[in-house]
Amino acid sequence: MAHALFLAALAALLLGAALAGIGEWRRREVAARAGAAALAMAWALEFVALTVRGVTDASVPLRNGAEYLLVLGWFVLTLHLFLWFRSGIRALALVLPPIAAVMVAAAHLLPSDARSGNGPGKIWFVFHTSIATAGMAALAVSFAMSVLFLIKDRALRARGGPKLLTRVPSLETVDRIGFQALMWGFPLLTIGIVTGMVYNTELHDRLWTWGFKEVFPVLAWGVFAVLLWARFARGVRGRRSAFLSIAGFGLGLLTLFGMVR
Amino acid sequence: MITLVGMNHRSAPLDLRERARIPEDELPAALAKLKEAAGVEEAVIVATCNRVELIARSARPGAANEIRAFLAAARGLELSEVERHVYDYEGLDAARHVFGVACGLDSMVLGEPQILGQVKRAYEIAREAGATGPVLDRLLQHVFAAAKRVRTSTGISRHAVSVAYAAATLARGIFDDLRGRSALLLGAGKMTELAARHLAGQGVSDLTITNRTYARAAVLADGLGGSAIPWDEFPAALARVDIVLTGTAAATPVVSRAQVRDVLRARRGKPLFIVDIAVPRDVEPEVRSLDGVYLYDIDDLQGVVDAGLDERRKAADEARRLLDLEVVAFDRWRQSVELGPTIAALRDRLHGVGREEIERFARRLSGMSPEHKAAVEELMRSAMQKVLHGPIVALKAAADRGEAAPRVRMYREIFGLAEPHANARGTGEASEPGAADPPGDAPSRGPHRVIQGGRDT
Repeated sequence: MAHALFLAALAALLLGAALAGIGEWRRREVAARAGAAALAMAWALEFVALTVRGVTDASVPLRNGAEYLLVLGWFVLTLHLFLWFRSGIRALALVLPPIAAVMVAAAHLLPSDARSGNGPGKIWFVFHTSIATAGMAALAVSFAMSVLFLIKDRALRARGGPKLLTRVPSLETVDRIGFQALMWGFPLLTIGIVTGMVYNTELHDRLWTWGFKEVFPVLAWGVFAVLLWARFARGVRGRRSAFLSIAGFGLGLLTLFGMVR
Repeated sequence: MITLVGMNHRSAPLDLRERARIPEDELPAALAKLKEAAGVEEAVIVATCNRVELIARSARPGAANEIRAFLAAARGLELSEVERHVYDYEGLDAARHVFGVACGLDSMVLGEPQILGQVKRAYEIAREAGATGPVLDRLLQHVFAAAKRVRTSTGISRHAVSVAYAAATLARGIFDDLRGRSALLLGAGKMTELAARHLAGQGVSDLTITNRTYARAAVLADGLGGSAIPWDEFPAALARVDIVLTGTAAATPVVSRAQVRDVLRARRGKPLFIVDIAVPRDVEPEVRSLDGVYLYDIDDLQGVVDAGLDERRKAADEARRLLDLEVVAFDRWRQSVELGPTIAALRDRLHGVGREEIERFARRLSGMSPEHKAAVEELMRSAMQKVLHGPIVALKAAADRGEAAPRVRMYREIFGLAEPHANARGTGEASEPGAADPPGDAPSRGPHRVIQGGRDT
């Protein structure tokens, strides 16, 4: 039953992302609204599917790379719907739903047999995985905004005259949302790393084991720390900030390698 | 018949447009005068600095001459001069022109939105003065709804078509909102002033002005409600403003890359938007490559304007296609209204035949009980109704296809109905039963018949 629900959610998500994106780009109100409805539907289906799986298996569905991507995609979709309805920034539909769709679609391609979280320290596992995943979702929003920032910045500086690119919001707007997402994502990532270490000691009696799941999050954390330090101490914003945020999110995603092996 | 006489920036020189413009407070009187012109029953006058449009509905075709004469007399102009510089349209062409004008398709700046408000105002004045009637009411309301649709579906007014507007559009790509932003003006010339006024109109509220000659900066600061600073203090001001507008007459750049780079730290990543409208340029082009700095020169702005004009032309083509459909819809309404008298006459004719026949048989029916008599009358009415149904449906269908006029002529001939009174009858209340012609009794028509509420008086 959960499997059918996951497939239905994926179908609704792919359809919703396509409709919302096209509706926004071609300024077709009907398509944009239908897309938003499909996305809301995908959100609910995915939520029910994850709950069913969690209840059936008596565990958080974050035990392997596939489940991680499913939940991450669902979190990104949650943030999209929240920001879309609250901020009224329509252009979010151009970036966040496709990111969520790619994550959830990739989840269906990954092997879903690798299981972790059954050993000792289960409470730390639940705590660690859910916080780290929520943090990555916020960082995904920051990543998306950085991409939009670079696109808009490039368009405004285009050789042979500036392009207006009116569908992408102003640089300030994009920067503001990206920064807010980062201010949520960074502390969550920090807590995720610390709780991960605690879980490690429960499982292996060691704080650090040089696995992908440790190295990449810490590297990502380092990049975000540099980004925030530069922003607060030196007032660095703009393109350099955007590149750092993209690099940090990319490093964070590499954690996946630790989950599928 | 709707007749339109007008002049715009293409048909008449500015000097004539100025003299022909009827001031707003004189419009009610002018409308009353225009309605005194023979045959004019409804009128709306649109008078702006760029155009005069006299829209009238008259009972007879060929009212354009009288309207031209009215315009010449009302504004004390030579009739020959007016005749040389006005255009006139009749019927659907007139309606099409009104649609186009309201959507800004006939404006000097293609797609400019102010004209719609001006047409609305003109209609309001005419309505309050009692100068409008069913046809122009319907036309203008249709025009306003269509203009709104055209605006939203083609986005014709969205694209920048002036340098100042292009600057504001680019600024909106960088800033959330221009309200409450600060700007620094280098140079106190006419161009900078114009651009600064536009920015102020967009909400930029904190203006700092500097000029090599301090006194000129002070004068401009007074005029714009900003503050003036001495020329050598401007590099420091670069650190705190959001927008820099330069337009000095200097032969070499006055703002260097080093100067801008030096303030970047102090700006703490706040984006800096620089518009350089000076020729030769005031800001070193190398400033462009600095992170967080967006520099545009006059060519960049012109590029945005050209792209905007291009977009507007495309949108205008689309708008014209949409308006063609609207004009057809308006024409259908007009034709369906013109069916009113014909349908009423047809009903009267056939039911009249029925009544006559019953009267002719009155003696033979005299033995019947009142109930039977009523039943016979009902039978006759019902039969006539059934006969009428087909032709009326066919007539309405023809009107929907835009073929009402030949069909009406045909029906009048076949059923021996009276001639319709040109367009006088074909409007508004004409579908009221009382408006119908008595069958076979064509009233004599003079040129100056007064029509009130669809009834001849």
